[in-house]
Amino acid sequence: MNIILIPIFLPLIMAFLILFISEKTKYIKELTAIVTTLIALMASIAMFGGALEFSLPWAGYGADFKLKTDNLNIVILTASSFFSFLIAVYSFGFMRKKTASTKWFNFNLLITQAFSAGAILSDNLLLLLFFWEGLLIFLYAFIALSNENRNSKATAMKAFIINAATDLCLVLGIAITGYLAGTLNMSEINASGKLTMHGWAIGGYLLLMIAAISKTGAMPFHTWIPDAGKNSNVNFMAYIPAAMDKILGVYFLIRISVYLYQLNGGMQIMLMTIGAATLLFAVMMALVQTDYKKLLSYHAVSQAGYMILGIGTLHPIGIAGGLFHMLNNAIYKSCLFLTAGSVERQTKTTDIRKLGGLIKNMPLTGLFFIIAALSISGVAPFSGFFSKELIYKGTLLTGHKVFFFIAVIGSILTLASFLKLGHAVFFGKRPETLKETQEAPFSMLAPMLALAGLCAAFGFGAKLPVKFFLEPSLTFLSLEHTLPLSGFHFDKLFFISVIAALIALISHILGYKTFSKPSKASDHIHHAPGLKQIYSMAEHKFFDIYEQAMSFTPLLGKCLMAADNFFDFLTDRLPSLVINSLSKISQKFHTGSYPLYMALTIIGFALYMVFVLGGTK
Amino acid sequence: MTISLLAYLLIPLFSAVLIQFVSRNKENLADIIGNITLFAGLLNISYLIFNPVNFKLSFSNIAQDGFTLLMIFMIYLVAFSVSLFSTGFLTKEKNRHHFHSLILVSVSAMCGIVTAGDFFTLYIFVEALAVASFALIAFDDNEKGIEAAIKYFLLTFPASIFILLGMAILLFTTSTFNFAGLQNIVAGGYLSSPIMSGVILILLGFLIKSGVFPFHTWVLDAYQGAYSPVSAFLAGTITKIAGVYAVIKIAMIFKFFDLKLYKISETLMFIGAASILFGAIAAMRQKDFKRMLAYSSISQIGYIIIACGLATPLAILGAIFHMFNHAAFKTVLFLNGASLEKSLNTTNMEKMGGLEHSMPWTSWSSVIALMSTAGIPPLSGFWSKLLIIVALWEGGAKGYSVTAIGAGIITLAYFMVMQRKVFFGKITDAAKKAEEMPALMLAPVMILCAVIIMSGILFPYCYNYLIETITRTIL
Repeated sequence: MNIILIPIFLPLIMAFLILFISEKTKYIKELTAIVTTLIALMASIAMFGGALEFSLPWAGYGADFKLKTDNLNIVILTASSFFSFLIAVYSFGFMRKKTASTKWFNFNLLITQAFSAGAILSDNLLLLLFFWEGLLIFLYAFIALSNENRNSKATAMKAFIINAATDLCLVLGIAITGYLAGTLNMSEINASGKLTMHGWAIGGYLLLMIAAISKTGAMPFHTWIPDAGKNSNVNFMAYIPAAMDKILGVYFLIRISVYLYQLNGGMQIMLMTIGAATLLFAVMMALVQTDYKKLLSYHAVSQAGYMILGIGTLHPIGIAGGLFHMLNNAIYKSCLFLTAGSVERQTKTTDIRKLGGLIKNMPLTGLFFIIAALSISGVAPFSGFFSKELIYKGTLLTGHKVFFFIAVIGSILTLASFLKLGHAVFFGKRPETLKETQEAPFSMLAPMLALAGLCAAFGFGAKLPVKFFLEPSLTFLSLEHTLPLSGFHFDKLFFISVIAALIALISHILGYKTFSKPSKASDHIHHAPGLKQIYSMAEHKFFDIYEQAMSFTPLLGKCLMAADNFFDFLTDRLPSLVINSLSKISQKFHTGSYPLYMALTIIGFALYMVFVLGGTK
Repeated sequence: MTISLLAYLLIPLFSAVLIQFVSRNKENLADIIGNITLFAGLLNISYLIFNPVNFKLSFSNIAQDGFTLLMIFMIYLVAFSVSLFSTGFLTKEKNRHHFHSLILVSVSAMCGIVTAGDFFTLYIFVEALAVASFALIAFDDNEKGIEAAIKYFLLTFPASIFILLGMAILLFTTSTFNFAGLQNIVAGGYLSSPIMSGVILILLGFLIKSGVFPFHTWVLDAYQGAYSPVSAFLAGTITKIAGVYAVIKIAMIFKFFDLKLYKISETLMFIGAASILFGAIAAMRQKDFKRMLAYSSISQIGYIIIACGLATPLAILGAIFHMFNHAAFKTVLFLNGASLEKSLNTTNMEKMGGLEHSMPWTSWSSVIALMSTAGIPPLSGFWSKLLIIVALWEGGAKGYSVTAIGAGIITLAYFMVMQRKVFFGKITDAAKKAEEMPALMLAPVMILCAVIIMSGILFPYCYNYLIETITRTIL
């Protein structure tokens, strides 16, 4: 058996086996999931460097079951398998106290791993579509089964509809791409020359891009993520929106933007604008949240903006930054969600206004939180600093300085929001009710330790990830660059980051002094004139396309009902009315009167003659 | 050796005369002679048609073509059914030997029509049939029957004038009535205007005799007013043979479409479509069972006429097959109407209801017949309509094709209304007293239902038969 099949089919088979295990058994399901994901991870690592291929004729018409590894997707696959493994370990402890079904959680976890691996490894676009759509179904299942209240079902539906709409774009985009290129295999499209931006190709690229950025959770397709942050559990949040979706979305965005299509300046500006807008607006929303998980959810959206911005530069440095940031983000964002999970498990709440001073009770969780928070805020020497630095360099090299400034503002606000969060949760005054809080169990601390360790390991010059992950990928994508990717530079960018950190700190102190409560430290921005109205609109879901669209559904329903009544009238009432009235008229003419009948016959005869003789030649 | 079909004409005639002498005082003998004559004829013609030896020779050993054979089969089938049914129906009548005589004479005349080789012979038999059917309609000597008979006579007599006139013109211009001779002239490729006008007049005459819109007025009163089994006989065969058969024959000989006689073709198709729609629409609101069936007849004849107007081989096949099917299902419906009349003493549908409980056989045979009329697969009516509609579509008359399909829906609608009013729904007081007919009267209905079902299910064989025997004579 080909090793390339292991990350896909092993989790798939095990997922269905898990369904046969009784809900009452302890540990067996969890251990199955952990072992399976570990094997998948090892298989991914074993495939490093090689160029494996697996091909089977499948549906015909160019839709082959074609899998292929290269230096790009093997990095992505390893990352996704790694997160599956970590989440499986973490859930071992976390799910013990949850009401939701562990069986279905592990089933969804394994099947998501299988389908993600399929989507990442497939070389054929149609096969990719198959796996991609499969993920959509299990996204719904994941959210709907993650909590036993009604809200999770509604959120699941919201996530499903938004992603289904963008997946429809993917279908169309793949159709156009396949038609233009004459083949559905990505490697063949690349080998025979990338598609250039004119005519149908623009539409094809835009459709694929919509699918990719909506997967990363960029605006305006992000709205289900904060809802899910509130209504589902942290395992899901740490796994799907924080890690898997970013991995897949960024992977696909790089694939289409660099590998399949040759973009032009207009597309570059558009991508960068989407990225910049996403990072800025989402971080502003994050700043004012008072729920641990929801605040992180907005950051999950905001960080996607950085990745899109980095890839949008189309410069090797920027793309490297986007890719690197994706890896880093998955690491620290998962870590942050996991700390949220630990806090939730031990204190039964995620409302930061009710939390405080937890560093004494949960020192390790607090430490991991601080490392991950510094990393996400781009403070040297942790990993986030280096990936952001690459993205900044990329934007500056394109010459569009405005995007650079937006990115820096985003960075300031990110730090400010984490100062507020950390201050409110782990420092400050401890409420009396939290005196007895215990540290989280080992199975939950271990994944956090691993992730926090990676935050540090990918920092300090970032030599490790650059050497093993970024350079091979860039070489594979044939992106040449002269600037060094790794290493620590005391240049302007470093000083800008220091200045940004100072601004954030000043802002936090200002807010804290004004409102004398850490959870209100951002209220001076929240209530600033001009911004207040915008925030209020956002809180009423004014910018949420899904909710806006849903508010039109009753009206739409009425219109459809009216249309239905009209067609009913056309097909049912109208014909019978017409036929009945015609029938009545004919009854009037058939009285049994002989002269009338004779007259009819004679008129008929006359008409017949006129008709027939009128045209015989 | 060729087999002549003259016997089908002569034997019924002989029996008709015989009955008058033998059974003047023994009414039962008239039943026996009449039924045996027709049954023997039916067996004989079945043997001719279904004999594989004949089929292998493509019926080249028989003087006439497959069309004629099929028509003779149809005539004998319907006549035997009606005659057998009447045997049960006529109990109170004294002069049943007259009735059987008239039936046999009509059969004889109809066989004369379908075996005729020229227009003159055909015309003679048509007139003979007219006289016989006049007497048959008037057989029910109440006011309505007489009125119906007189209307039938007066409203169709212009037809005779037109036919005679047309034949005179034909005789002057071509000096032949012979179908074969005319076919030779047509094969020459050119038709002069006088020939054309002759054909047009003859066609008009036969259209009046077929009772299509707008010459349909006599059909309604004749079918409604006539003695009930006679209605079945009239609707099933007499009007078809006296009018529609000749129209098909003319269409086969002159091939309007090939000769670029678009005007005649268009006119015929228009008349056909108008009949289909008019008959179907008017049938919707009828209260009298027999009158509704009369309208339905007009509508179904429209299908045949529209196919004749197109006159492509496929359309002609469809027309012939539809004529045969129409004979089967319309006879069933009219005979069931007669059964209802006998058991409820009325034909008003308003007074009926829930008869499926008291008259299950009648009820379900009606369902089969009406489904065949409306064109529900796999019954025979579906196939013939399909042939016609496909032929119309292929021939480029797409509008007519759609009309034909649409009218099929209306047909289904009015039969559903009828079925619900009469056989399903609430049981009325009159229906409670109703009794199922005796086996003797159900037998012909069952035989015809079997024919409907079998010719539908075995359609490939029927189609093969039509192709083998008829296309040869058209092309």
